Amino acid sequence: MSNDVAGIVFVGSLVLALAVVYRPLGDHMYRVYAGTRHARVERVLYRLIGVRPDAEQGWAAYARSVLAFSAVGILFLYLFQRVQQWLLLSLGFDAVKPDQAWNTAVSFVTNTNWQSYSGESTMGHLVQMAGLAVQNFVSAAVGMCVAIALVRGFARRKSAQLGNFWVDLVRGTLRILLPIAFVGAVLLIAGGVVQNFGGGDVVRGLGGGQQVIPGGPVASQEVIKVLGTNGGGFYNANSAHPFENGTAWTNWLQIFLILLIPFSLCRTFGRMVGQNRQGYAIAAVMGVIALVSVGLTAVFQALHHGTVPVAVGAATEGVEARFGVVDSAVFAAATTLTSTGAVDSFHDSYTSLGGMMTMINMMLGEVAPGGTGSGLYGMLVLAVLTVFVAGLMVGRTPEYLGKKIGAREVKLAAACFLVTPLLVLTGTAAAMATESGRAGMLNDGAHGFSEVLYAFTSASNNNGSAFAGLTVNTVWYDTALGLCMALGRFLPIVFVLALAGSLARQGHAPASEGTLPTHRPQFVGMVVGVTVVLVALTFLPALALGPLAEGIHS
Amino acid sequence: MLPTWIRHHLAALRALLLFTVLLGVVYPLAVFAVGRVPGLAAKADGSVVTVEGRVVGSSSLGQSFTDADGKPLRQYFQSRPSNAGDGYDPTASSAGNLGPESVVDSTEAPSLLTQVCARSKAVGELEGVSGARPFCTPGGVGAVLAVFGDRAKDGTVPRPTRVVSVNEQEGVAKAPFAATYRGVRVELARVGEDYAKGLVVPIKGDAPARPAVPADAVTASGSGLDPHISPEYAALQIKRVAQARRVAPAQVAALVRNNRTGRALGFMGEPAVNVLTLNIALDRRFPVNGAD
Amino acid sequence: MTTPTLSPALLLRALPDALRKLDPRTLWRNPVMLIVEIGAAWTTVLAVTDPSVFAWLIVAWLWLTVLFANLAEAVAEGRGKAQADSLRRARRDTMARRLTGDGEETVAASELRQGDRVVVEAGEVVPGDGDVVEGIASVDESAITGESAPVIRESGGDRSAVTGGTRVLSDRVVVEITQRPGESFVDRMIALVEGASRQKTPNEIALNILLAALTVIFLLAVATLQPMAIYAKGGNPGVPDTVALDGDGITGVVLVSLVVCLIPTTIGALLSAIGIAGMDRLVQRNVLAMSGRAVEAAGDVDTLLLDKTGTITLGDRRASAFVPVGGVGDKELADAAHLSSLADETPEGRSVVAFAREHHGLPERSPDELAGAVWVPFSAQTRMSGVDVDGRTLRKGAAAAVADWVRASGGDVPAELAALVDGVSASGGTPLVVGEAADGAARVLGVVHLKDVVKDGMRERFDRMRRMGIRTVMITGDNPVTAQAIAAEAGVDDFLAEARPEDKLALIRKEQEGGRLVAMTGDGTNDAPALAKADVGVAMNTGTSAAKEAGNMVDLDSDPTKLIEIVEIGKQLLITRGALTTFSIANDVAKYFAIVPALFTAVYPGLAALNVMRLHSPQSAILSAVVFNALVIVALIPLALRGVRYRPGGAAGLLSRNLSVYGLGGVVVPFAGIKLIDLVVQFLPGMS
Repeated sequence: MSNDVAGIVFVGSLVLALAVVYRPLGDHMYRVYAGTRHARVERVLYRLIGVRPDAEQGWAAYARSVLAFSAVGILFLYLFQRVQQWLLLSLGFDAVKPDQAWNTAVSFVTNTNWQSYSGESTMGHLVQMAGLAVQNFVSAAVGMCVAIALVRGFARRKSAQLGNFWVDLVRGTLRILLPIAFVGAVLLIAGGVVQNFGGGDVVRGLGGGQQVIPGGPVASQEVIKVLGTNGGGFYNANSAHPFENGTAWTNWLQIFLILLIPFSLCRTFGRMVGQNRQGYAIAAVMGVIALVSVGLTAVFQALHHGTVPVAVGAATEGVEARFGVVDSAVFAAATTLTSTGAVDSFHDSYTSLGGMMTMINMMLGEVAPGGTGSGLYGMLVLAVLTVFVAGLMVGRTPEYLGKKIGAREVKLAAACFLVTPLLVLTGTAAAMATESGRAGMLNDGAHGFSEVLYAFTSASNNNGSAFAGLTVNTVWYDTALGLCMALGRFLPIVFVLALAGSLARQGHAPASEGTLPTHRPQFVGMVVGVTVVLVALTFLPALALGPLAEGIHS
Repeated sequence: MLPTWIRHHLAALRALLLFTVLLGVVYPLAVFAVGRVPGLAAKADGSVVTVEGRVVGSSSLGQSFTDADGKPLRQYFQSRPSNAGDGYDPTASSAGNLGPESVVDSTEAPSLLTQVCARSKAVGELEGVSGARPFCTPGGVGAVLAVFGDRAKDGTVPRPTRVVSVNEQEGVAKAPFAATYRGVRVELARVGEDYAKGLVVPIKGDAPARPAVPADAVTASGSGLDPHISPEYAALQIKRVAQARRVAPAQVAALVRNNRTGRALGFMGEPAVNVLTLNIALDRRFPVNGAD
Repeated sequence: MTTPTLSPALLLRALPDALRKLDPRTLWRNPVMLIVEIGAAWTTVLAVTDPSVFAWLIVAWLWLTVLFANLAEAVAEGRGKAQADSLRRARRDTMARRLTGDGEETVAASELRQGDRVVVEAGEVVPGDGDVVEGIASVDESAITGESAPVIRESGGDRSAVTGGTRVLSDRVVVEITQRPGESFVDRMIALVEGASRQKTPNEIALNILLAALTVIFLLAVATLQPMAIYAKGGNPGVPDTVALDGDGITGVVLVSLVVCLIPTTIGALLSAIGIAGMDRLVQRNVLAMSGRAVEAAGDVDTLLLDKTGTITLGDRRASAFVPVGGVGDKELADAAHLSSLADETPEGRSVVAFAREHHGLPERSPDELAGAVWVPFSAQTRMSGVDVDGRTLRKGAAAAVADWVRASGGDVPAELAALVDGVSASGGTPLVVGEAADGAARVLGVVHLKDVVKDGMRERFDRMRRMGIRTVMITGDNPVTAQAIAAEAGVDDFLAEARPEDKLALIRKEQEGGRLVAMTGDGTNDAPALAKADVGVAMNTGTSAAKEAGNMVDLDSDPTKLIEIVEIGKQLLITRGALTTFSIANDVAKYFAIVPALFTAVYPGLAALNVMRLHSPQSAILSAVVFNALVIVALIPLALRGVRYRPGGAAGLLSRNLSVYGLGGVVVPFAGIKLIDLVVQFLPGMS
């Protein structure tokens, strides 16, 4: 089988697998969030947390809970890293320095998992599994909570309530993430991913040189890293590391897990609003963008344009032999189309246009399918904006799922959309304008600029992957990127919840012939078009100075 | 009664602590426990391989097969170039992170192009094939010119006034890889001189688009710990290894086939050869004479 | 009223206004254009300090961009001005004869208060809005409606309202003033057509927010480009400075050009013109909307409540068949019905005569031809009318009344009559029974089948509404059986039979609770609550003041079917906004392909590949984009005023059509436009 055919089958098999689980998992998640019964263990948890599970919250209370939980998470994780030298399983590592600890704490709580540290030389096992991995679970669950709250906003009529954050958080974690993670972790071990508490035995290799065999509770963390679209690797090399991702099939499994919840949530959305076809439409928007992006990334990589790739004869720099160029490109697209940011190959050394695709994927707002929860709410915000423009064009006050898209809804959706471009562009501009910002660049010229643009795009969109050539473990970058991550996560969340509140308060306008149908290919195409055009218009000048300048040769 | 916002945060803290116990302790221990099952345990512990009872590494982690000076041991198949520490250091897994247009060497580090060219040349010499590649000088650095002169509207320099081969230094290289460029004599680069004003022009040259040295032999992996090489790179090394071990190449080739993995399920990943297990098998089947 | 089209003369007339609107204090209401103006001012300063042909050309076209936007608004307003002027003439100098306790006094119309009573006699102008409380008069309302035929206004009933500025042609009426000073109908109308009282509608506000967000994004994209550009330039010291890019980054003139080209200037320039023109289109159809909100709501209407009588059917019932009973001949019945109705001046009576003539070949006769005939008019007691002639007594009327009369006159009522009468009723008709008494014997001759006649073209109209997604509900006082039959014939979706005013109100409430927007027409005082409750309530100008106050639109032609046009205008207004927004954003794609390579090709030669239009030079590319951006505003003024063509149909089809025209067209047109402009401007000095 040629590389091309194998690549197509690889993508095809992923599509097929996702299609197969779409309904069962989506329906399961629907039952999780719509159900009224509490499991016994959940009741115990609610009692211990001290919340009444049957009391619902308005949007502001829901948002306050999200923010409180996240703030506590950041503080806890920061302190955890700062005292790790005194803890079990510290492997002898020192406390993480303050700016890096802040950056890392924000990074994991915001589901970004940007890593300005190198896992194997900075973090002890306990911080990894009881600090970072816990946030991998709960930050993903928080994203799902917000998405579900927004969907409730669409589904409910004349209601001030959006559900109970604590219930959604506990259920999402215990009933969705944990079971899948457990099964996935065992599968990963079977694929060579380690799960031990070893501290790194030194062995003498065949050639006589010494080598440390690292250890760690990797499998349990690795699975939630991808399932929760987190992306923070146990080791520096992330999913390129053989102990994180040992075989071609674990690579497939990781991509599958990355895309699993974000796509299936569309089904949950459809169920909750009572029209499965609406879920299919959103899934179709995500699918179209994702397939085009995966295709372009893989094609650019396979064509290997550019000086070094041509000299090499393939874009294999930074790529593992067991994965190959095409599967790595698929992983790269998947990880940037979602908010994952795990990498099984290094985007910095990609062809210019292949690398640009990973950036564009994030610039799209990570909505195809996006992060766990964050993808769905990001996409619904884009759908709201699309509905507004399209709705006017059919001569009615725009409606989406029976909700009028009026001034308040447009204001919140537009504000939500504005946040990340604002952070990306001002962050990048600030870096280019300051000495501290320019100091971190390993490459110069257009590529150096791409690295900075990538860093701010990744942080602001809560992706976490990097054009790793940038030296980001400096006070300036730790602080600036930390701010981008926090604002890029929580401002949209607050806007989305406010939007949810505004929608829930409305009644329901029944659809008629004159209502814009939002389940047809026409609408799917329009959301895709609006998304792509808006993003292209926002970022084209910046891209022109980075990957385009580097990648287009006269 | 505490203020509402404090109660809110206390609830959040309690929730976080509960999750920390549940997800941060119970769950990884449970996965660990399952990982003790025979069949999984070896993998959970790092897939270590032993030779005569001595652990020599992990079949999942690549390693260097070089002598103390970093020179390749001829009796072993060589792994890919590595950026993990000094090479295959699992405490510093890393990629090179240089871009596709990293073509001009800096005083601190060679460009990616020069790295590729140098590796290609070295492998070519080791395996007795041509190490020539597009954009590489015969000397094994990036064939890149800085072209000075007025820029045309399209940004090119149609009438150069001065041309410098930026990666070839006076004293290191004897002569530039090309004598002239557009009628102008090409100079060697001088240490300390700034060529930023010149237009950077990589020269492709006439090397074949598919060079004798395969791609993975001249590029580092993402982890720096890649345990595999491509079947092509393995094939290239058979002759040399067979020579070093004084066996017929076909016998070595058979071992290579044994240690070759195809695509998983026929379509995932790419065929690859595990260098460590291959070399262990070699040692077992065709031990090298101590004298060698 | 006339429908002025866009002509050079109109543009010229609007020019002074457009120039006046350059005042930033006026322009701040339109942030997008204010940014363009600030940019224009700044580039003017730059061009003065560092003059070049290129800079001055850009400056000129930036100012033109603002001017064109102002022109669009001024033209739209100008169209209303002419109407306002003629209305003002109607209002001026009116004196009123106010009744006082013991007589009357003459006061200026502007001094009238609510509740004042004034006398208006033939030849005088009604001094203010009010209801006729005494008398009847014919009134010339052409000053407001443009309709020259006089109308009757009388006290009591639903035709009591008179409007200030209209002229009484005959008789004398006493009018009770219902308006507050300065808020007369005509005042409001003037404000409306001039656009003076124009408030932004909900969708317009939402759209403005979206445009503001886009503006912020593009401002940001351009502002942050500067440090990036400085870095790019600094990293390539061998690249000479260009007109677009030097060591300090992108030059000011080019930076402003980029901003102006990217922010949604097209829709920003035309947005208020679209709104004014939409109101204007309504006014041209003699509909007066009290707010833009109502016009927009019209586009959203889901349910249309229509009164049966006068709207769906002609006001009166017509004879449609003669059904004889008991062996009476067709001809005999027709003749009797004809004869009995000759003097009946009611529409029903006349329709019997006409039907007999047309379908039974009876000659034209006048009541006077029958000497000695005694005409018996209809009375509420007898519920019959008829004639006594030549010894025959003919009666026509309600079935029970005629049957009683026949029996009383000594005749028998055949059993089949009851079935016949019920049959007619069941089919939605009204049965009139014709009886005859002669020579001491009486008999029933047969039944005249009267029925409602649905107006021509109603079914097509309702089909059209259905395609637009609007449900039509007929409101009638008829019994359900009758209502059902007419509903089926007219093709409405639903009906409300035996409706009392409170039923109407309940129906509206029910529809609205289901999330539907309701529109209705009404004229009577008892319609007022429903008119007020409906999302779009169109009061007939002939109606009472109460109805006109309650509704949010008034139809001067008092044509209830006008609602359909109002809905279409509402939709057209929204579509025009949406289409031009899409067009405006889609335009940016081409502008990027013009400007980005112009900016950076010098530094990164590969970017020349983005210059897909093969524009002559960076200068000509930037200038062409700016010129296109300005010209497209002018080119779209007619469309903004006229509105995007609206063809009733489903939303999906509409969207496809508009998307391909304004979305796809918006992407493609500027490529061609900029290229064409480049072909011209490349010959200007300073373009290479």
